[in-house]
Amino acid sequence: MSESKKDGSDLNDVPEAEVRSRKRRISIVWLVPLVAVLIGGWLVFKALSEKGPVITMTFKSAEGLEAGKTKIRYKDVELGQVSAIELSEDLSEVVVTAELVKQAENFLSVHTRFWVVRARVGVSGVSGLGTLFSGAYITLDPGVPGNKTHHFTGLEQPPLVTADLPGRHFVLTADSRGSLDIGSPVFYRKIQVGQVVAYHLADDGSNVIFKVFINAPYHEYVHNNTRFWRASGLDVKVDARGVRVDTESLVSILIGGIAFGIPQVQDPGPNAEPETAFVLFRNMDEAKERIYQIKTKSILYFNESVRGLTLGAPVEFWGIQMGQVIDVKLVFDNQKKMFRIRVVIEMEPERFYEAGFIGDDIDRKKLVESLLKRGFRAQLKTGNLLTGQQIIIFDFFPDAEPAPLVFEGDYPVYPTVPTPMEEISTKFMQILQKIDSLPMEQIGKDLRDTLHGAKQIAESPEILNAIRNLSATLEETRLMVSDLRTKVTPEINTVLDGARQSLANAEQILNADSPLQVKMNTALEEISGAARALRLLMDYLERHPESLLRGKGQEE
Amino acid sequence: MSHDLKTARNQGFISCHTCHLLCRKAGTDAIMICPRCGSRLHQRKPNSTKRTWALVLAAFIFYIPANVLPITTVTSLGIAQSDTIMSGVLYFIKTGMWPIALVIFVASIFVPLIKLLILGFLLITVQRKSSWRQKDRTRLYRITEVVGRWSMVDIFVVTILVALVKLGALASIQAQAGAIFFCAVVVITLFAAMSFDPRLIWDTKESLNE
Repeated sequence: MSESKKDGSDLNDVPEAEVRSRKRRISIVWLVPLVAVLIGGWLVFKALSEKGPVITMTFKSAEGLEAGKTKIRYKDVELGQVSAIELSEDLSEVVVTAELVKQAENFLSVHTRFWVVRARVGVSGVSGLGTLFSGAYITLDPGVPGNKTHHFTGLEQPPLVTADLPGRHFVLTADSRGSLDIGSPVFYRKIQVGQVVAYHLADDGSNVIFKVFINAPYHEYVHNNTRFWRASGLDVKVDARGVRVDTESLVSILIGGIAFGIPQVQDPGPNAEPETAFVLFRNMDEAKERIYQIKTKSILYFNESVRGLTLGAPVEFWGIQMGQVIDVKLVFDNQKKMFRIRVVIEMEPERFYEAGFIGDDIDRKKLVESLLKRGFRAQLKTGNLLTGQQIIIFDFFPDAEPAPLVFEGDYPVYPTVPTPMEEISTKFMQILQKIDSLPMEQIGKDLRDTLHGAKQIAESPEILNAIRNLSATLEETRLMVSDLRTKVTPEINTVLDGARQSLANAEQILNADSPLQVKMNTALEEISGAARALRLLMDYLERHPESLLRGKGQEE
Repeated sequence: MSHDLKTARNQGFISCHTCHLLCRKAGTDAIMICPRCGSRLHQRKPNSTKRTWALVLAAFIFYIPANVLPITTVTSLGIAQSDTIMSGVLYFIKTGMWPIALVIFVASIFVPLIKLLILGFLLITVQRKSSWRQKDRTRLYRITEVVGRWSMVDIFVVTILVALVKLGALASIQAQAGAIFFCAVVVITLFAAMSFDPRLIWDTKESLNE
């Protein structure tokens, strides 16, 4: 009540308001809510128009992810944001829901891969250090276009190869994974040109299939005849030329790797198409030497111990390896009520190419049959005397019993011949042969004659007489010896005693302090004194010869 | 509240808004001018309810984006985090700082909303010429006017932070669209409160008396 006023009488003095005509119009103030509505409407429209697809991804763990904060980026451009993180119903996974921008709709397909970028330290390097500060984010690889989907399985590891990386994928089959892992390098002439991007077991579990990616432009070096081999670790060779150590790189020593190349003798062939399958050889030598891709299996039955025959044992023919043993099993033959050993061998017919033994299947069968007729048989043989390892050899045994070529399923069964007691028995055979070759009959006959003669001599009377005389002679000799003992021996003792006494005396005499010695010395001194006097006399006489006449006279 | 209340209005007087000169009312369908200062004379604030309604509605519309859109983006060491008012409140609740959360909630969410609701309520009652607890309603209006300006605290905090926290890659804060809408809500609400003429609350009484 701001404008209340007192009840007054002089209100007539209050001046009258002036008057202007009133214009009716809509108040301008309504512009304000109108603008508000427009802005609000625009915001709603913008939000709706920018609303992109909502996708779900499953991860093993939501480490580093946060609903409402974690971004989805591609090439560092923000494409969306994680809106919810929930556990899957069976608690095995984390379901991440994300809202993407509208633009993302165009490339989402079943080939799109999502993964979380975190700081990672691995054998092949350190990545995602930036996320230490900025926090983890989800990134994606659009992949090739395909069927649309909004549900994805997130990768636990970032893929090594993304769709925008030029190069080619190839498939390698190997018997085991070895030390290879995702990210293991692939070398060409010791330059890293690619890496292993995936590996998995073949559907039937028979081998391991590696997927490698060769970066452009190196994929041009992969030809149809290219061979891949493991470059894991060190390759140390000791031969007549000394010790050689070979390795692809230090990294491959640590984490293994794959190398490829073309055997020099071979024509490289055309460039390999993407996804071409190759065999991954165990090492370079194997890759370069073994050019046998075809393998045929055959079966051998042995009726003896195969102790020492291991899987992989070589199958040789005249010292040349033709294949290897791939299976050894004991089989009970119900018909014969007998145990047999079934050996499956794998042969590489390509090894015969150069000898001209090539032909189609029918020819080959006939060929084998003709070989069998000529005694072509398999046999167990000791390959190594030290370890007792056995190998299987094929050879011609013309004496072998004839055997037909039979098939067990698709596999031919080659007849075998028993092992002649191994190496020792062969030696023994040799000895026997030598013995056999000796002129035993002649020797025996001569020996018999000699014995006969000897017998005749022994039985002759002269011999008996001689023996009798001999015994008499012996008797006499005995007596003589007895005489010697009783008579001669004491004499000898006496003589010896005398000799010993003489020697003792002689020793006494010869001693330096013996009286004889002293006397001798004195005598000798006397003699020398006499000699001196005589010399003086002679000198005197020479000078005074007259003294002989006149005597010595007076000294002048 | 006296029953035979004499007001300027029912006595045919009108007060100038500018120089507060009391004038006698002239003819009804005319624009009156203050003879002393030349300002336009109005019995009540012109189109008070319409204007207030328009502004309240606009404020209501802006209130939605103000709360849905982020008000600031804090970039710290490369981590960009956008926050709406409510997410800030929830953050403080989560970290156990209840008093701060309460202050922000009251100043930024509760007060603007309650102001708009009060104004709406007053407008409805005025239009229905309700005589229900007029004094209390007037008190509500006074509270609205007094409290209204404090909602601007939020905007001031944002502007100061944006200006101060410019540490490059270490930390920086940007104001986002939400701040603008929030500012619009507060300002429009202030205008709405200003354009509302509390005398209208009491006009019913007078018309009853007449």
